[in-house]
This record gives sequence, structure tokens and C-alpha cells, in this order.
Amino acid sequence: MMFNKALWFQNYKQSKFLIWILLALFVVQMPLQAILSVESWQERSERTAYSEEYVYEVQAWDIMQIFSQGMFTVFLAAAIVIFASLLIGLERNTRRSDFTFSLPYSRSSLFLAKWALGSTAVGVFFIMNFLPAYFIIYQSEFREALSLVSSIEIFWAPLLGYIFFFSFSLLVGSITGEMVSQIVLTFIFGFLPIIIFTLIQEFMQVHDFFLFHIGSQPRWIEYATPFFYAAGSMGSLPGVIAAVVFTAVCLWGGTVLYTKNNLEYNGEFLMFKKLNPVFVVLLTVMISFFGGMIVSSLAPWGADALRILSYWIGFTTFMLFALLIIRRLIKMNIIFSGRAV
Amino acid sequence: MRVQHISKHIHHKPILADIDFSVEPGSIIGIVGRNGSGKTTLLRSLAGILTPTRGSVYIDGIDIFKHPEIKKQIIFVPDSTEALKNYSTKELIYLYKNIYPEFDTSYLFSLMKRFKLSQISKIGNYSKGQKALFTLITAFATGASYILLDEPTDGLDVIVKKQVLQLLVEEVSDRRLAVLISSHRLDELEFMVNEVIFIKQGKVDSHYELDTMKNQYKKIQLAFAEKMPEALENEIEILDKTGKVYTVLIPRGNSLLEEKISDSRPLFYEELPMSLEDYFVAKLGGPDDV
Repeated sequence: MMFNKALWFQNYKQSKFLIWILLALFVVQMPLQAILSVESWQERSERTAYSEEYVYEVQAWDIMQIFSQGMFTVFLAAAIVIFASLLIGLERNTRRSDFTFSLPYSRSSLFLAKWALGSTAVGVFFIMNFLPAYFIIYQSEFREALSLVSSIEIFWAPLLGYIFFFSFSLLVGSITGEMVSQIVLTFIFGFLPIIIFTLIQEFMQVHDFFLFHIGSQPRWIEYATPFFYAAGSMGSLPGVIAAVVFTAVCLWGGTVLYTKNNLEYNGEFLMFKKLNPVFVVLLTVMISFFGGMIVSSLAPWGADALRILSYWIGFTTFMLFALLIIRRLIKMNIIFSGRAV
Repeated sequence: MRVQHISKHIHHKPILADIDFSVEPGSIIGIVGRNGSGKTTLLRSLAGILTPTRGSVYIDGIDIFKHPEIKKQIIFVPDSTEALKNYSTKELIYLYKNIYPEFDTSYLFSLMKRFKLSQISKIGNYSKGQKALFTLITAFATGASYILLDEPTDGLDVIVKKQVLQLLVEEVSDRRLAVLISSHRLDELEFMVNEVIFIKQGKVDSHYELDTMKNQYKKIQLAFAEKMPEALENEIEILDKTGKVYTVLIPRGNSLLEEKISDSRPLFYEELPMSLEDYFVAKLGGPDDV
């Protein structure tokens, strides 16, 4: 049922715009960037040929910019979130959801078909663009640079990372009631561990009260942050294993939740009303801490008491706004209903 | 199709309560109720879109929620073509052929020819009437045994409406289909349906065959020298009052009430033909905002 022709066609029809954007982004990220990078490496290398003290060498970082890191991974992550939201969120905002759910397929088949289409598109486009990009560098004079990176760093980690991030976006879609909430919550949850870590760190710093040692960001925070998988920061074996495990968890969780969706709540912020209080508390607390962080940063570094005071002023102000906005968000209902035939 | 004790709560409010009825092949059933009575919620539940809080829907004894593949026998036609507007006719045929194994393309083309519907690159570009006809035709072409129509004639002009209704009646009689129609247009339903289910506050208020239903009440016109006696006024359903002339509804066969009317010596007494709308007013209370 994951590869049902009708469901593939239906899902393709409602997301084809993004599918082609995704392909264009992969083309620019890999083959095009590979051509331009080789040109620019050549130019630099020619320039340094006149200098006796300096020898130009392509670094591992340069190669990873083409395959697994850099700004295009961020664009691709954003495109993947929108892709998932066209498959689930937009369907809920419109009358398409009634059509889909009236079809003679189980809800798990509907969800798995969406996942299969998205993962296949991401996987095929990635491989389709990886191979020519790799070949472009391989046949250039900078072939040796490819030995500076491993296949995990430039192939498996980004490929499985994108698929995990897509699966994660679909999982969020299985609990949200419409497109905007799916996009917003995917980004919030996509960064959640790092956001919580930063907010706590800032709170401790302002109050000079340390629950744990503040240093560089622990590696486990990165493993727990879905966005890093799409941004190519998981180029290690544990990262690849984590991506596979998390993909399986998202797929299982998404299928179960999608099956339990009550479609009468389409268009509302969340599909599961029991989650509303959890979201209200979580978002309010996060926005309040964020407010504290922002306002306290305006106070002079030396003035400790003033920093603490401004922290709590920011905290309270943002909390009040958060409560007002989030209460409205929870009550909203966005359905674009095409009128009668 | 067996609709077994369906209840549905939305935001903790009961929208449907213990709806229970059966649908036999070859019948056209009108689902009638006032705005917000739960008609669309009922149809969406029958199509498996909404999961009932309690109860279920069975086709040939198979639960549609546990075995959704049985929904090949049901097709839901909503009051909007939003979901299909970006498809070309060719794409839609491809989609339906892959969903409904018995999809009959030649039948679809013959009906498209009959109603002068040409193949188009975007269904959204059809006129409102053409969209209505096309969705109805494709629904019939799927070979499904149960067609669920939500307000099928809403917003259509008289000519298209007539075509839609004619097609419905023809198909049901030719192919032993069952059609469930939710509609406000009681005058249209009257000439089409053979059964009517009245929904009131989420419950089945009554479920009758049309002829049986019409025989339950008697519509009469009465005129009095003064006004209608108060004692009588409390016992009968007044549909209309113009001066001293009353149009009323009384249960057929209630000889005691007929005697009371006769005793009140009306100047004029005439039985009028009963319409579905009269019954609707009597059962569901008030012609306003129907």
C-alpha cells in the first residue's frame, strides 16, 4: 500500500510544485556548486602558484560545503518542511482531506504513501545529483580532496539526514491541524533541544546560578536536535545510526497518530485537544525565557542587578503576549473551503 | 449499508446521537434537517471521513472503519469540487481507475457526450453546473453501490438542476444503486426520494417511506367566521394563517380531532395535497432558516 499508484499520483499532484523546487535546489547545491567550486579552486591555485610561501590545498570543509553543509542544506531543510506541509497540512486546510479520507484505503496506507513519495523524491534527487557532482570533482585536478572526506560525511549522513527530517516533518503534521502550525511547530521542534539548552544557559548566566558547567554545546544536544541532521552536522557513524533509528520512530509514531486523527479538528492548531495545555505551557515558557534573554542583553554587562531586573521584565512582558497569542492560536480554525459546485 | 448506533461528539458536544438505520440497494434516501442538525457530519461519517465516537457503518456486514477497502462500494460527493479542481479530466480518470477497479471509462465518456462535457485540462475551469454534472457522472462511473451526495443541487440553475435530478433517478433505477442525499431543497427531494430521514438535534427524528409519511398527516384549509377556537388551536399544527383562513396539519385518522373541527363549524373545509415541506415544518418546527 505504500506504493499504491493512485495515492502516489494524488500526492504528486498536490505537491509537484515543491518536488521540482527540491530538484532545482539539489542541482544547485551539488553539480552546479561542484562546477563553480572547481573553477574557484583552480583560480586560487593559479594565484598561489606565483607565491613561494603559500600552497593552495582544497580542504575537507570545501568538499563538505558541496555535499552536506552550507547554506543550501538550510534551503533544502526549509523546502522539505514545506513539502511535508503540502502533503499533510494543506490537505487539512482545504476540502482535499475529505476526498483523501473517503478513499478505500486505511489511514496508515495514506500516511505511508506520503512518506514513500517524499522519501523517494529526496533520495532519488540526492543520488541523481550526488553522482555527477562527485564525478566533476573526481575528474578534476582536485581529485585527491575527495580522500579527505568519508562516504558517511558526504553521502550517507546528508541522505539519511534529509529523509529523517522529512519523516520528522510528517510526524509533526500528524499532530497539527493545518499547514502553518505544521511548519511553525516543525521548526520549533526541529531546534527544540538546542533552544532549551540556550535558554537555560542564558538564565543561569544572568542569575549567576549554575546547575551544570557552561561550556561548549554537548554533542548529545546535537544528536537530539532534528535540524542538525538536515544541516549535515551528523557526519559520523553514530549520527547515521541515529538518523535511521529516528526515521523509524517518526514513521511508526506518525502512522499511529495519523490513524487516530479526528478530522473534525482540521483547520485547528492541533488535532489532539489533550495536547493543547502542554503546548500552551511549553510555548509560553519558552517565549518568556526568550523575552528575558532578549531584554537582559540590553543591560550593561557589569550591572548584575539591572540585568536580573531587566531579565524578569522581559520574561513577564513576553509571557503576557505569549499567553494572548497562543490562546488565539489554539482556538483558530483555518479552512479554505471552496464553495458549492 | 447498515448504520449502527452512530454517535459523534465534537468539542465535547454531541453532534450525532445514536443514529441507526439501513439503506437498501435501489433506494434514494433524503437526509433532511435544519441547519446544524448534523446532516453533513452524518454523511462524512458514512464515508469514513469522520470516526464516530460510538457505533459503526457496515457494508455487507463488514465494518468500513476496520476494513476501509470495503469503501470501494461507497463514494462521497461533497458540495464542493475543491479537491479535484486542479486535475484534468484525463488525470482524474487515471486516478479513479486506479482506486475503483470497476471504473467504467466508456460509460463516463458516453455521459460526458450526452451532457456536452468536453475533456478539459483543469476541472476547475468547468462552469459550476458542468462541475456538478461531471462529479456526479464520475461518481456513477466508479461502480460504487452507495453514492453519498451532500447538497448536490446547491447553487445550480434550473436547467442543470433538472439534468442532475434526472440523471440520479435514471441511474438508481437502472443499476440498483443506493443514493443518500442531504439537501435543503425539499421540493426537489420530494420528486426523487422514496425514503426520508429527518434529523433533529443530531438524532433520527423519523425515518419513513415517502408515501407512508404523506399518509400520516392530512393538510386542510379552514376558514372561520371569527378566529379559530383556542381549544382547537392548541391541538393542531398551523402551517399558515391569512386573516380568518388557516392551513393546518392534523394526524390522519384522528377522528376525535376531526369531530372537534367539525363542531367548531368552519365556514370552509378543504383537504389539500401534502408536501414534504409541510411534513418538515410539522416535524422539525418552523419553516424559518431551514
